[in-house]
Amino acid sequence: MLRYILRRLWSLLLVWAVTVTVTFFAMRMVPGDPITVMLSDQSGNVDLAERLRAQYGLDRPLLYQLFDYLAGIASGTFGLSYRFVGYSVINVIAGGLAITPILALVSFLVALPIGVVLGVSAAVRAGGWLDAVITIALVASISIPSFALAAVLVWVFSIKLELLPVAGWGSVEQAILPIIVLVVAPTAVIARLARTYMLEVLDCDYVRTARAKGVRESLVIYRHAMRNTLVPLLTSVGIIFGALLSGAFIVETVFNIPGLGRIAVESILARDYPVTMTIVLLFTAFYTLINFAVDLLYGIVDPRVRLTGDAS
Amino acid sequence: MNLFKTAGIGTTALSLLTYMAFATPVVCAELRTNLPADPATIDPIVASELIAGDVIRNIYESFTAIDSHGNVIPSLAESWEALDGGRGFRIHLRKGVKFHSGRVFTAKDVKFSLEQLLLPTSKAGLNSPHASAIVGADEVKSGATTELKGVKIVDDYTVEIALKSVNPLFPLYPIYMMDSGVIAEAGANWATKISAGTGPFKFGGWSRGQQVQLEAHKDYWRGAPKIDGVRFMIVPDSNTAMSMYETGGLDLLRVPADLVRRVIGDAAMKGQLVTSPEARVRYLAMNAELYKPFEDKRVREAFCISLDQAEMIEGLYYGAALPFYGAVPPGIGGYNSNLKPINVDPKRARALLAEAGYAGGAGMPPLNFSNLEPNKTESLYITSKIKEALGVNVGVEILERGTMLKSMNSRQLPYYYWGWSLDYPDGLNFLEALWYGPSPYNRGWKNAEYDARIAEAKAIADNDARYKVYNQAEKILLDEWGMCPLPLQLQVVLVKPGVKGVKLTSSRLEPFWDVSIKP
Repeated sequence: MLRYILRRLWSLLLVWAVTVTVTFFAMRMVPGDPITVMLSDQSGNVDLAERLRAQYGLDRPLLYQLFDYLAGIASGTFGLSYRFVGYSVINVIAGGLAITPILALVSFLVALPIGVVLGVSAAVRAGGWLDAVITIALVASISIPSFALAAVLVWVFSIKLELLPVAGWGSVEQAILPIIVLVVAPTAVIARLARTYMLEVLDCDYVRTARAKGVRESLVIYRHAMRNTLVPLLTSVGIIFGALLSGAFIVETVFNIPGLGRIAVESILARDYPVTMTIVLLFTAFYTLINFAVDLLYGIVDPRVRLTGDAS
Repeated sequence: MNLFKTAGIGTTALSLLTYMAFATPVVCAELRTNLPADPATIDPIVASELIAGDVIRNIYESFTAIDSHGNVIPSLAESWEALDGGRGFRIHLRKGVKFHSGRVFTAKDVKFSLEQLLLPTSKAGLNSPHASAIVGADEVKSGATTELKGVKIVDDYTVEIALKSVNPLFPLYPIYMMDSGVIAEAGANWATKISAGTGPFKFGGWSRGQQVQLEAHKDYWRGAPKIDGVRFMIVPDSNTAMSMYETGGLDLLRVPADLVRRVIGDAAMKGQLVTSPEARVRYLAMNAELYKPFEDKRVREAFCISLDQAEMIEGLYYGAALPFYGAVPPGIGGYNSNLKPINVDPKRARALLAEAGYAGGAGMPPLNFSNLEPNKTESLYITSKIKEALGVNVGVEILERGTMLKSMNSRQLPYYYWGWSLDYPDGLNFLEALWYGPSPYNRGWKNAEYDARIAEAKAIADNDARYKVYNQAEKILLDEWGMCPLPLQLQVVLVKPGVKGVKLTSSRLEPFWDVSIKP
């Protein structure tokens, strides 16, 4: 087991190294640079622009700049932001780091139980009216773009009913609407998956056996069948969580939350290379670590897929 | 369900944590207004962009300022006289001006500020070219010395500045004066912690992505501000900003362009609406160096007279724009109020194109019109009018901002829409930057006679005499169809009842010194 974990961690490091390098060169291939965007109208002033490029170290060979950034990672500050002069990358993203992953996690924790219950309920009554209602609701919630949903919620709850604040970050009230918007899509995805898996499981022999033994239907569903739907559902957790992280940008913009998604987009537009690379690296790290955790969890949820170092 | 419980506890704990981390005390007499993005900096030396400028103008001051009618008025300089036939100035500084630190503003601070703009380590932005006009600037820039030779401290309140060439506009440059004691007090990274200006407000805090807070400078030389502070809320989404204003979260809303239609048409907003033309010209550039047909004046004219400003104002800007037929906008020294309107004349346009040898667009190489995403509708309007009037197919190319700037600077765009905001309040800024041959920003039209006029005007100290030459130069530019002027868009702000003293000028909002809020 330990050997397996170590081997996986080593491959994660490789993935991260490749991510940093690819992002670095991809960013440099985009036309314009931090100075162009910073000077805007005046960026045509070659004299001024070249002088600033030299002062920011942007005139040095690319490999030097890459090593510089790697040294920044090693130092823990991730280098200096180009857009916010005098601030380190870690300072620029610190606020967002305490927001986006938490928003995504809370939304996920809310979406998971609701989604499973909805999916299971639909599956149990497959073909009935409840199944139809739930399925229609799920398709609708996957189809509504989150910015539209957000606008409607703000109009109803903030402007008309004056129950919740329009935007901002810092109080419980301000977190309610963004979390609702973020929860909708993953709930629908989880519910649809849960319904499909549950239908498969309900066809299995052990469910038939349990029923034949005269076990109460609720116990059959929740103890025997549902545990087994969790295994395939776990596989999708990483993907759903990744979608939540990247989907946070829209919610952060509409509700004016200074999260990582917003910082990422702004830093790309401003060509703030070090900040962009750090956020890409962080998202990659979240994503890969969650998938790693999911792999480990398989063994706990399903003893049949217990992992050992020499299994393969 | 255990999962429900976990989620519930998680949400509550998270909410409590965030609440404790962000709860801020309420200040009543504070002006809350919006910014579309974080300022990149509040350092007056480094600053390069307009949003930083909106904040910094409340913190720092220059020799002169602009009043609400667009006139240049003395600020930190009480008066000045030209030296050496205009190759320099003796500037008498205002007495009794205190920095935010409590230190008194004197001549040594002027010298310090100018040197900071030139030092090779200072990452100085947009204002550094202004300081480059001073004798000895190049030596400081190259790192040979840190002493700016051209600035002589006569006494605490008199400073003499020697310039490389005759330059009557030097006192108008927005060179922000800063406290020379600040680095000793707060270190090299001082600008992230405190402010070092003389303005009505001082830096109070910045939560990136959320807000920049300013506090009243009680010792401000014109008297303490009537409000306790200003809170610039950073709101990138325009609908969110509007909702915040509607629900009382903002006292002053700078209305984003995409909401102007809604605001102007809303009867409930009538009493809160303030508009002013902006000293930002917009034009269509036609680069003759890249697109051969544009070498012919007749083609340029044909392209310009196919467009109808009245139609654009009505259909694209919902009435929030004024027709404009020149290069120097109103409210700026040298504006010509007698400019003739451009007559929309598709028939003449077609005839001109035919005369130039491109009847119905035949023989014209393919052409793209380049623009940014937010101005896509303008692009479609313009290209459709050209097609309608001249039969010429012009493609629309939407570029991302950084990409567009890069292509424009490297002179790769033949036909595009762009603007220019003023750097200093004088018509020369517009005439020289965009259309003067030697300017680094020249937009692809060059004319020797025009260049001669601009060179001549640059040395004339008397305002009226200089403005006359500006008008002559502007006439050449317009007669030659060096560009097509576009309507002047209005700046639109909404002010809550009870907020008094907000002044919208052609150069954006005035500092909030005089603003008061009735609770």
